[in-house]
Amino acid sequence: MPTQNSARTFRRAAAPATAALAAFALLAACSGPAKHGADSPAANYQLSEGTPPAKGTIDKFSWALYAEPLTLDWIQAFDYPQNTVLSNVCESLMRWTPQLTLAPGLAEKAANPDPNTWVYDLRPGVKFHNGEPLTADDVVFSFGRQTNPELAAAWADSFENVAAVTATGPLQVTVKLKQPDALFPQLMATAAGVVASRKGVEAAGKDYGVDGSLDCTGPYKLTHWAKGQSLELDRFDDYWGTKAKAKTVEFKFLTDPAARTNAMLSGEVDGSFLVPTDSYERLRTSGVGSLYFGEGLSTVNVNVTSIKGALGDVRVRRALSMALDRGGFVKAALGGNGTVTNSITPKAAWAAAGPETRAAAFDALPPAAQDIEQAKKLIEEAGAKGKTVTVATSPIGQDVTLLATALQTAGSKIGLKVELKTIAPDAFSALFTDPAAREGIDAFPETFYLSVTDPVDLLRNFKTGAYQNHASYSNPEYDALVEQITSTYDPAQRLALEAKLQQKAAEEVVWMPVAEWPSTVFLNKKITGAPTTIAYMYYPWAADVGAAG
Amino acid sequence: MTMTLVRRPGLAKVRTKRAPLYVASLVFAGVVVLLALLAPWIQPYDPNIADLGNALAPPSGDHLFGVDAAGRDTFSRLVAGARTSLLGPLGVVVFSTVLGAAVGVAAGWRGGWLDSVLSRGSELTLAFPGLLLAILIVSVYGEGLLAPVVALSVAYFPYVSRLTRSLVLAERARPYVAAYQVQGHSGLQICVRHVVPNIAPVVLAQSTVNFGYALIDLAGLSFLGLGVPALTPDWGRMVFDGKSAIQSGYPLSAIIPCLAIVLTVVAFNVVGERWADKVAGRTR
Repeated sequence: MPTQNSARTFRRAAAPATAALAAFALLAACSGPAKHGADSPAANYQLSEGTPPAKGTIDKFSWALYAEPLTLDWIQAFDYPQNTVLSNVCESLMRWTPQLTLAPGLAEKAANPDPNTWVYDLRPGVKFHNGEPLTADDVVFSFGRQTNPELAAAWADSFENVAAVTATGPLQVTVKLKQPDALFPQLMATAAGVVASRKGVEAAGKDYGVDGSLDCTGPYKLTHWAKGQSLELDRFDDYWGTKAKAKTVEFKFLTDPAARTNAMLSGEVDGSFLVPTDSYERLRTSGVGSLYFGEGLSTVNVNVTSIKGALGDVRVRRALSMALDRGGFVKAALGGNGTVTNSITPKAAWAAAGPETRAAAFDALPPAAQDIEQAKKLIEEAGAKGKTVTVATSPIGQDVTLLATALQTAGSKIGLKVELKTIAPDAFSALFTDPAAREGIDAFPETFYLSVTDPVDLLRNFKTGAYQNHASYSNPEYDALVEQITSTYDPAQRLALEAKLQQKAAEEVVWMPVAEWPSTVFLNKKITGAPTTIAYMYYPWAADVGAAG
Repeated sequence: MTMTLVRRPGLAKVRTKRAPLYVASLVFAGVVVLLALLAPWIQPYDPNIADLGNALAPPSGDHLFGVDAAGRDTFSRLVAGARTSLLGPLGVVVFSTVLGAAVGVAAGWRGGWLDSVLSRGSELTLAFPGLLLAILIVSVYGEGLLAPVVALSVAYFPYVSRLTRSLVLAERARPYVAAYQVQGHSGLQICVRHVVPNIAPVVLAQSTVNFGYALIDLAGLSFLGLGVPALTPDWGRMVFDGKSAIQSGYPLSAIIPCLAIVLTVVAFNVVGERWADKVAGRTR
């Protein structure tokens, strides 16, 4: 037992030691990250084609989502959280593979007897989660929901050229088009092509997607949704394809990026897509699991949601875009794991294009480099000095918060007043689907992922009246070009026309491109098998996840 | 939050004859107030200008406290943040003191049914946690400084009113009050001219202590993203923004505002307690 004197001596000795420890901790906290060029991010990441295949089955794994889905009704599935879940529960006529190619889904065969007709032969023996068999009538009903104006489907655009959907056999559906539509067959691999049980949907009524089963055909069925906390999917034992390797998948809603990272590190969740960018290094070096990067077909953009205010003048949009510090954004927000871009469409989407087409698509785009002086001149010319631009932001991740901050800084450097409006993570999805949520907002950061491997999937958003044409752009020339592209089935010809469309979109600064961002997935040592590419939005990825060892 | 003016034995140990802790706290609080007042002239950079390419840079000659995850100068944000961080608690203290003192004086002086109604009303408010009340009000009225200040003022006023009531009750029993009444002074006159000035120092001392608590509550709200809007330099908001820096492994931009909050709260509490001791005639 120490005497009083020795305790005092210990305290005297401990004081400098504590001070030294505190100073060391402070020094450690002071040292910033290693400097590296924002334009040389290749050193930071490497794209993987996939993760190692699962070695066996597993009872359960849990997965982090950055927000709770507003609904799981497939016609409203327009954001990451919904589609990450829904892709495992509801299937489409076609399937987007992890290699980002098109494959048969619920339709075992798709035929195009003439440019205005698509005939889909359904797989026999497919059952819905409610036990009902899949029929052509269910396809007609499901597509009918997408085109019902009362339901305001997010995917209604995909059916704009559809004249009629008819059941031409118990297991055959014929889609008659008003004009040739090259995008339609591709979109049948997305939520646009989902088929659900007519009986199930009608029985659920207004509760469909919010409460109860989804009655689709996927390898998992929705069994439990604890609102505000988590939802659970159970393996569907009557699934027509390869059975899922995990019996149960639990999705946990973790809106705080730090909480999400800590959940991955502590094992509270076994994995996640869309890993918070500021956690890449911690997760990489944690030894808890592996962080993979894959083709994301994604670009980070500033979505111009209103052209009624200051952003109505193309010179103001051009100036703000010109003043953005894209290199700094890639370094700070993406941790160097991305590339600066001057194109709103990702380069990988142009893979099938020839060198001439690629040159036409990219060479004449405005440079991505920051040019404050030129931007100031444009603002002066437009007489926009001192005007206010309201930008929505949300604490869902650094990509959103730092792009909003970068916009604010860009604005203040060129004489615009950029005000930020913070939106809760769960409400951020509503910006894409609800015009009321966009009231009073001029722009917001948006990471856009292509839902098909075709640049027009993004570029068509700026056609007059398009669902994602939030700002209501209208340019007859642009519309005519979209029409021409849509009706061109030949990929090479279509891409050549898309290059022209990309130029027009850039001239109008319909969106401000910022960076290309790879898809990310973290898997702890317990599980493996998830795809690394953005295919997880529509591909039943969870069925491939199983035991790592 | 403190209910009554009491001395804390933990702090008494570090008090000496010359009370260096009190002096240091007073100086620190004074410096913080000065920084807040002179912020536009002191801050070396615009606190909202982000140099993303320089994010998380360590302290240097250019950036005394380094740069945060958005590439903003931490020192400039700290100085500018002193304004919001002090203005909010000041609002809470002013509103809650005025409201609490009015209710307390009315209840204590008048007594009877008015005392019962006001006291029970205050106790009802006490039953509702202040921070929850603030979160509720902010959820309804949106982000900004006013909503949390009003909410916390409502949450804090019962503490002031209870203290004021007890002081007024004690004062009312004093002979000088009876003497004034005998001389024909009205109740209102005696209350306003004599009782209120007599109890004011104790109430103000308590308000100084409350300032520290309000500061920490408001910083907590900002940390939850419920206080000031995004981009506004504010210490709580800085800690919130610093979360990504912590994730990246460079937490300095979060540690510094944390230290500023803790030291300022301690400084105001020590000063407030000392003043309370002084007016209560307690020796140390």
